[in-house]
Amino acid sequence: MTGSTKKPRGAVLLDLDRSVVGSEFDRTVLDPVTADEIREYASFTGEPVGVNKAGIMTAPASFVLRMRGKRFMPRNLPDLGRSGFDAGKDIEILGDVHPGDVLTTVSTVHDLYEKTGRSGAMTFLVLRSVITNQKGERVAVIDQRMMFR
Amino acid sequence: MASPKTHKNDLDVGNDLLRLRITLSSEQVRGYAVAARMPGGRFESDAAAQREGLPGQIVPGNLSIALFCRLIAESLPGAKLQRLNATFRGIVRPGEPLSLHGVVTERREETSGVFLECDLVLESTEGERRVTGTATVLL
Amino acid sequence: MILDLHTHSEASEDSRAPVETYLKWLARKRDLLPIDGIVLTEHRQWNPNVDYRHLEDQYGILILRGAEVETDYGHILLYGVNDDIAGRFDFTNVRLPAQEVISEVSRLGGIAVPCHPGRPTIGLWEHYQTKPKLEDVVAVEALNGGSRRGENERVQELIDQHGYHGFGGSDSHLVSLIGVCATEFDEDVRDIDHLVQALHRGCYRAVDFRPRLVAARDGNAA
Repeated sequence: MTGSTKKPRGAVLLDLDRSVVGSEFDRTVLDPVTADEIREYASFTGEPVGVNKAGIMTAPASFVLRMRGKRFMPRNLPDLGRSGFDAGKDIEILGDVHPGDVLTTVSTVHDLYEKTGRSGAMTFLVLRSVITNQKGERVAVIDQRMMFR
Repeated sequence: MASPKTHKNDLDVGNDLLRLRITLSSEQVRGYAVAARMPGGRFESDAAAQREGLPGQIVPGNLSIALFCRLIAESLPGAKLQRLNATFRGIVRPGEPLSLHGVVTERREETSGVFLECDLVLESTEGERRVTGTATVLL
Repeated sequence: MILDLHTHSEASEDSRAPVETYLKWLARKRDLLPIDGIVLTEHRQWNPNVDYRHLEDQYGILILRGAEVETDYGHILLYGVNDDIAGRFDFTNVRLPAQEVISEVSRLGGIAVPCHPGRPTIGLWEHYQTKPKLEDVVAVEALNGGSRRGENERVQELIDQHGYHGFGGSDSHLVSLIGVCATEFDEDVRDIDHLVQALHRGCYRAVDFRPRLVAARDGNAA
């Protein structure tokens, strides 16, 4: 995934203020991951909890979705509509998560565009979260598409 | 294994992943939302979701993604998920029987290993696709 | 000759399907999906510089290009996009005037045809319940592979009432969904100009390959 903030493919913003695109709106250092959190999370998804070659517990792949910063949405958004829904995600998994890891999530506004669908006219806000561990290694990059109408 | 008949290392374009049939309970959805640190009445109960203008309690998109991850993990044991993309096309409700399945669309042999690209679908029993996605997996 | 007239590659923001992977899939599934060509109809964009001839040569599958634009009567597929058409309309505008699109695209050498007309909000059928009929509509997408139960059925009413020709397309955003619905032409279509002329002439029909795919899947599972 690139860090591009250029105008998205095939989208127009008729009355939307794109000045928010590219802005960082949250940087949070999360509490250390615990083994109990990993096990509890996996108990609801049915994903396996792994063990790496060194015998250390490894969180399931989707566990990175749990890493939310203090702010879920940027403060200075234009008026996008009455309600927002998760429209989808692109996740790049770059490393494992283990108990004891201290993860930092940095979130930016990656994109803002408009399209029409079954629900009518919709505005899409794409928020990018880059998650790194205590060694500065990237663990995941998550692009979340929020749909407003 | 992706199919009872095919070892994962032999998987190629057109081979199906396993098919999972799952019905999520209201408690499971609520429990996931707590475990995944997802605030929002819409995941807690019908009443709270209806106050937000929804027909009733809904399944978080993240849980649908987790189910895709589970499909990959069960179909391709030991494989490492590299990328996953999901598009939420319709509301998923607890109590609704769901079918998850996937198919290999590409196989690439690179110096770092064998990569599979897969299409993933979560649909109702009537075949209505609620979540679609793709995954890149390193065998 | 069978063409999938409605497909999206990763150039569309909601698709993750590379063009070459589409072709590999079709080559592998030839017995179930006898598709001779595809038309890439990306959302709200037109890139004149894209060239897939090397892939056509390699895979023996015709690759044509169009666009899917959004209008006040729902979504419309454009075929035969040229510099004049691309310059006349802003494809990124989600509120294009449908009548103008249909008339002007035809005048400028292409053809504009409503897609998934049975779909709520972005399909022609619903708009016809409250708005005047569009002039110069030649054909509509009778079979769309992404439509939900009842949506394709509603289109027949439109076709019967207004005498439109009906074509088919997969509306694929995933590799494995390409070609599930398509259009069977009575004539050879060799390039985009042939396609535009053939769509005007009406000698084609929508074809549905989903039943054979289901039968093959159920047969494998047995």
